[in-house]
Amino acid sequence: MEWLGLLNYAVFMAIFIGIYAILALGLNIQWGLTGLFNAGIAGFFAVGAYTSAILTGPAVEGRLGGFELPVAVGWIGAMVMAGLIAWPIGKITLRFRSDYLAVATIGVAEIIRLVAKSEDWLTNSARGLNNLPRPFGDLDYLFSQLAYLGLVLFCLALVYLLVEHQFRSPWGRMMRAIRDNETAAASLGKDIAFRRLQAFLFGACLMGLGGALLAHFNRSITPEGIDPMITTFLIWIMLILGGSGNNRGAILGAAVVWIIWSMTEFATDQLPTEMAIQAKYIRAFLIGLMLQLVLRFRPEGLLPEDPTRAGRKTGGGGS
Amino acid sequence: MTADPILSVAGAVGGYGGADILHGIDLTVGRREIVGVIGPNGAGKSTVLKAIFGLIRLRQGSIRFEDQDIAGWPPNRIVRCGIGYVPQVDNVFREMTVQENLEMGAFLRREGLEAALERVYVLFPDLVEKRRKPAGSLSGGQRQMVAFGRALMLDPQLLLLDEPTAGLSPRYCEQIFQIIRDVRAAGVAVLLVEQHAKQALAFSDRAYVLASGRNRAEGSGADLLADREIAQMFLGG
Amino acid sequence: MDLLSFLNFYLVPGIVLGSIYALGAIGITLVFGVLRFAHLAHGDMATMGAFLVLALVAGTGMNPWLALPFAMIATAGIAVGLHWLFYEHLRRRSAILTVIASLGVALMLRAIVQVVWGVDSLTYVGGIVRPESYFGIRIKDREFWTLAATVVLVVALMLFLGYTRWGKAMRAMSDNPDLAQLSGIDTRLTTILTWTIIGLLGAAAGFFLGINTELKSLMGWYMLLPMFAAAILGGVGRVEGAVLGGMIIGIAEECSVIFLPSEYKSALAFAVLLIMLALRPTGLLRGKVL
Repeated sequence: MEWLGLLNYAVFMAIFIGIYAILALGLNIQWGLTGLFNAGIAGFFAVGAYTSAILTGPAVEGRLGGFELPVAVGWIGAMVMAGLIAWPIGKITLRFRSDYLAVATIGVAEIIRLVAKSEDWLTNSARGLNNLPRPFGDLDYLFSQLAYLGLVLFCLALVYLLVEHQFRSPWGRMMRAIRDNETAAASLGKDIAFRRLQAFLFGACLMGLGGALLAHFNRSITPEGIDPMITTFLIWIMLILGGSGNNRGAILGAAVVWIIWSMTEFATDQLPTEMAIQAKYIRAFLIGLMLQLVLRFRPEGLLPEDPTRAGRKTGGGGS
Repeated sequence: MTADPILSVAGAVGGYGGADILHGIDLTVGRREIVGVIGPNGAGKSTVLKAIFGLIRLRQGSIRFEDQDIAGWPPNRIVRCGIGYVPQVDNVFREMTVQENLEMGAFLRREGLEAALERVYVLFPDLVEKRRKPAGSLSGGQRQMVAFGRALMLDPQLLLLDEPTAGLSPRYCEQIFQIIRDVRAAGVAVLLVEQHAKQALAFSDRAYVLASGRNRAEGSGADLLADREIAQMFLGG
Repeated sequence: MDLLSFLNFYLVPGIVLGSIYALGAIGITLVFGVLRFAHLAHGDMATMGAFLVLALVAGTGMNPWLALPFAMIATAGIAVGLHWLFYEHLRRRSAILTVIASLGVALMLRAIVQVVWGVDSLTYVGGIVRPESYFGIRIKDREFWTLAATVVLVVALMLFLGYTRWGKAMRAMSDNPDLAQLSGIDTRLTTILTWTIIGLLGAAAGFFLGINTELKSLMGWYMLLPMFAAAILGGVGRVEGAVLGGMIIGIAEECSVIFLPSEYKSALAFAVLLIMLALRPTGLLRGKVL
């Protein structure tokens, strides 16, 4: 039945959009609110995915894991682990301008990719971790998908409310002050590096959660599943296009960019197979170009941070 | 007012970003004249210099130098037409040698570099033996000489000095004032902003007192020094 | 392990790799110092240079070493073009936006290489090269020429920066950008000149990596971490620091296989980077900290 196929596809898309929206909200805390450039989102995402997989997955001879803990524990573990990885990186680099954080996060993502690819005892190398439990996995296909979507949306709602609350709190105002005028904020005697570290860890935890959600949805996680550059990039474009500093914008951006991204996949699937490989890279080129176009022509995004403040962040922040 | 001013600023209004700091400043500098600008903190003293040098765009008012209206010109064009500027802080290239600092001052000069260097070294003989040393390794006073020298390399008609004696010991202050007199003797007009009001008034031919971005008083240094009201306001009684 | 095999198996390859990193790190340190941002597309620019040599070799059948100067000039053109298209319009905004833009540029450059040349490993010339032996120290021709060319390029750059008007202008801009502008230095032209030099050296680094190993679309990206580690280790903004840092990282990476699985070579550069930032962010030769 045609409509059933469409419904299935729509639910499938919505689950991805929900997971990416959580990742974009995590980045919004780091970049939108605090002005930190995390270029290794995929790394924190992967840490979350693997951590939850190890905590909840089935036991296998010669490999760490098989604790078969409840999925909820896995998700909490994913957030904690992503935060723990972020902590030393942030501790060392957040005293300086965000350029250093960018380089360090690229490094972390790279090391995590290497570990995922080559450590049998931990990540099962290229084969990845499989047969992960999936909440509501025993239901019929469509109901199972719908239930998982419900779970993702529930998490997204919780995250949204939490992040929104933080944005509006005195803490959020302080972070914006640090972002917009570092010298002025420093003269107020706030410990800037420590505040930034809080924001960085907060965001990293959400990225870990996003990774865990995806791993359990797919019932598996493999190094192939995480192309660091593409994952990181998509989330950046989602946030910047949606509107840095605006949580609703981050969610809108996740939806818009994921739909466009999937459409381009549809389009390239129509190409003859000998061009399929090239098509993959043309898509990568286009998202790089899209970022440049957004930075140039719509730096405030679709939903600007706040009409009265629009443009100030990008215009006045930094040096 | 000066009969044949080299520089005249009229009705200058402007500041950083949205906020105005200058609310209508007028001032003139005559040829070979030393003009001081004093006033309390936040009066807009340094801002005037920055506006003249094109570092701040004015919203209103004119700036005439020789026979040109230079308001709105970028700094590198202003340097070329004969104004030198010595900022208050970070006024040398620390990691470059003294000689290289001076060469950078003459970046726009295609010829006559040797002669210009010679003139600066005559003016600041202390720098000769230091010329291969990085400017960052010099003492505060010598660094100030490098900064002056750099600004003089294009033979400007007018030198803008932003608090040249700030943070220097009294011995160096006297030296700097002597240098300014020497610069004037070489035919250059000087407009300087000073924190040490008393010294500046004693030393300038003429001075302006600014307050809250407006002209407050003007006159010869001696007259202003004798003015009771000014004395009370800025000179600590 | 005796001394000779240490020299042949670890030190010589380390110095070769080090000189490749050194050339790359000079580019990183120049952007950091003169233009004041972390240029994340530097590695992919090097990849582009390496593949441009390949295009010339394949197209005309010329010797890759002869093709190198042309590829360097073309890459310099690309670097200036990238500046015009993607970086210059951001200069009045927060500097970190330029870093983000450069990550986008890295992705685009890489995608172009992958579309045009594919993702498989390629080489300039086929066949196995036997090393020459000098008193027991074995050096391949291409290794010798890599070192010689690196020395020539570094010396030429040092002379340019130390003794020419525009070279000094670049140093002045790196030292104190505001004062450079006040002094009448044309900062726009100096910026373009800086990109030209970065393109020239980047292409050379990519080519040397390609001729000593193989050409891969991700070769430059994987060099990014060691290049940044080298630049920070030496001291940001210091050309001689970048050379020193590059050599140390290159030799350390080759020696690290003695005690580390070789997949984790790049972890070493990352560790150096974090340790330097934690303990001595100005680097060995007192560079800048942004």
